[in-house]
Amino acid sequence: MDARLANTWRLTLNEKNFIKTALLSEIRIDGRKPFEFRNISINFGREDGSAEVQLGQTRVMGIVTAKFVQPYRDRPNEGTLTIYPEFSPMADPSFEAGRSGESAVELGRIIDRGLRESRAVDTESLCIVAGKLVWAIRIDILILDNGGNLVDAANIAALAALMTFRTPECSLGGEDGQEVIIHPPEMRDPLPLILHHLPIAITFGFFIDENIVVIDPIHNEEAVMAGRMIATVNANGDICAIQKAGEGVSQRVIMQCLQLAITKAADITKQIKAAVEAYNSERALQKIKRETTCVGNSVKGDQNQTLDNKGISELVGKYMERLKLISVESYASQNINAEEIKSLRRGTDSNCIKFNSTPLSWDPYSKGVDLECLKASVASQGLSTASEEKEASGQEKGSEAESACPYEDVNSKWSAVDASTTEMHVIGPKTLKDAVKPKNKRKKKVSSMI
Amino acid sequence: MEVDREDGRSQNQLRPLACSRNILHRAHGSASWSQGDTKVLAAVYGPKAGTKKNENPEKACIEVIWKPKTGQIGKPEKEYEMILKRTLESVCILTVNPNTTTSIIVQVVNDDGALLPSAINAACMALVDAGIPMKHLAVAICCCVAKSGYVILDPTKLEEQKMKAFAYLVFPNSVHSVLPEGSLRVEGEPIENGIITSVTHVDDYFYCLERGRAASVKLSDFLRRNLQQQSTDSSKAG
Repeated sequence: MDARLANTWRLTLNEKNFIKTALLSEIRIDGRKPFEFRNISINFGREDGSAEVQLGQTRVMGIVTAKFVQPYRDRPNEGTLTIYPEFSPMADPSFEAGRSGESAVELGRIIDRGLRESRAVDTESLCIVAGKLVWAIRIDILILDNGGNLVDAANIAALAALMTFRTPECSLGGEDGQEVIIHPPEMRDPLPLILHHLPIAITFGFFIDENIVVIDPIHNEEAVMAGRMIATVNANGDICAIQKAGEGVSQRVIMQCLQLAITKAADITKQIKAAVEAYNSERALQKIKRETTCVGNSVKGDQNQTLDNKGISELVGKYMERLKLISVESYASQNINAEEIKSLRRGTDSNCIKFNSTPLSWDPYSKGVDLECLKASVASQGLSTASEEKEASGQEKGSEAESACPYEDVNSKWSAVDASTTEMHVIGPKTLKDAVKPKNKRKKKVSSMI
Repeated sequence: MEVDREDGRSQNQLRPLACSRNILHRAHGSASWSQGDTKVLAAVYGPKAGTKKNENPEKACIEVIWKPKTGQIGKPEKEYEMILKRTLESVCILTVNPNTTTSIIVQVVNDDGALLPSAINAACMALVDAGIPMKHLAVAICCCVAKSGYVILDPTKLEEQKMKAFAYLVFPNSVHSVLPEGSLRVEGEPIENGIITSVTHVDDYFYCLERGRAASVKLSDFLRRNLQQQSTDSSKAG
């Protein structure tokens, strides 16, 4: 017990006083103004329905899965939606493994109220057979890094994950018309969920002096603040839910905060929609590529040096999609050039290896050349989707996500590469198919969560 | 024997590796490791005061928390925790900080085969990032034996399901001599912390071991480059 207390993080009195004094002059310790939100970046994972949101230093992952259940008796033709927040001990030294504390329960309830009780998610469309079979949507919220304001970040993660989640299409069939047939994603496109509106949670922090209100508090400010209000609003100006705790605050301040929340919500809604749009268009593009490659199926291709720059840059774009994450980011304000070049470099490193797939006759210098020409060609094309590892997004501490290029091949057949992408045999005259530069997909992805 | 794997790799080919350190702000050390589509995030807090109840207070204690992507924590997660704990206990120098606990939290972001080796690699990198003293790095590889007898490295999830046996092998990283006589590679003894499931023939296991050891040399090269690069970056910043 003593050990546990010794390990909890506590703010010193000096720091607390400093934060309070600075706020009196409208200065926050991370340099923001009182009503400024931190940068939000939204990345998506490999599978549908997984999103990671980074709000300044706070990092939250949302994962949506679905399965069949029997509906509740009093709601026979509605699906269910449950939220499972998990405060991982990696996020904060004071979080413990096992049952999470009351703040986790509170977070779950706030998001639940925003999504389910405000009817943002259309549960009636989740019904398959009334009274017998409905979809149960489960949203897991994993808190990875606690930099303050977990509720807002978790809400955005849940929304982003819901918007990109797809349920496989089901139809009734069989002899008695009661059998449910689940169509695999290759046969029929899986369906997105229907969301009527996007409820966004905005957190306000109140301090002892009534006039001090901040939006989006960081964890230092959260330890100092006297009261807190979380308003879940949507871009249409509807207030979906309000949660207020702590010091008493006058009505005037509350009304001001709600007005502000609606403006901020509009902003954030735009960002989320932009990120999801970009992800969906990537996905559609991939699907088209996959279908055109169905005919000419994989083989480890011969080393192909005759690709033109355009082909390479397209391939770079496609390959970076296939790199561990399909990272689609919405930058609020970031140094895009540096990030892009970094990510391109990474992508091109792996890409280079791909070209040199015949291991024994590997020329160490050709890699350098390829890198340069790829960088140049891609930079000139101005790739719009900067696919980046989510770790590399918004990092100040100089961590770099690097793809491995173990380029030495001593024994046999070592190149740490996705050699499946070598479906680029341009043998003879180029056809229209070559202009499209199909990517060889490793395997059909079957959506595993049903 | 040439084998056609679904994604076109050869028998001894690993998937693209990516590793980044220091990605979380609250944790003392953190790392993310991905092999192809398998991605694991590891965070380290420590050393913290006190050891757990049944642990020896003369030594440091290692605590592992395994978090699956979704779902409840069950027996498989407990098993992973135990294996990871034992592996890391043999890698860390436990006598340096007695009566302390170092917690390692592993979060599965995506599982596409070779999950435990990725987790071991990620945990090792996170420990390096946190500055926990270690004897050497742990380099983990997954080898599978198929029904027809051939051995492949680093399987994907689909490949894993078709195999008859698999072995996770953890090796110490390869040693580079600093003597000017060039880089002599000293082969270390493998740490026998692998799980071997129904390998029917001992020869198969030795074959796996051989392949695994060769691949671990390459992996440790990757780790070395990764760590060296980042350490030079931070020295520039400092």
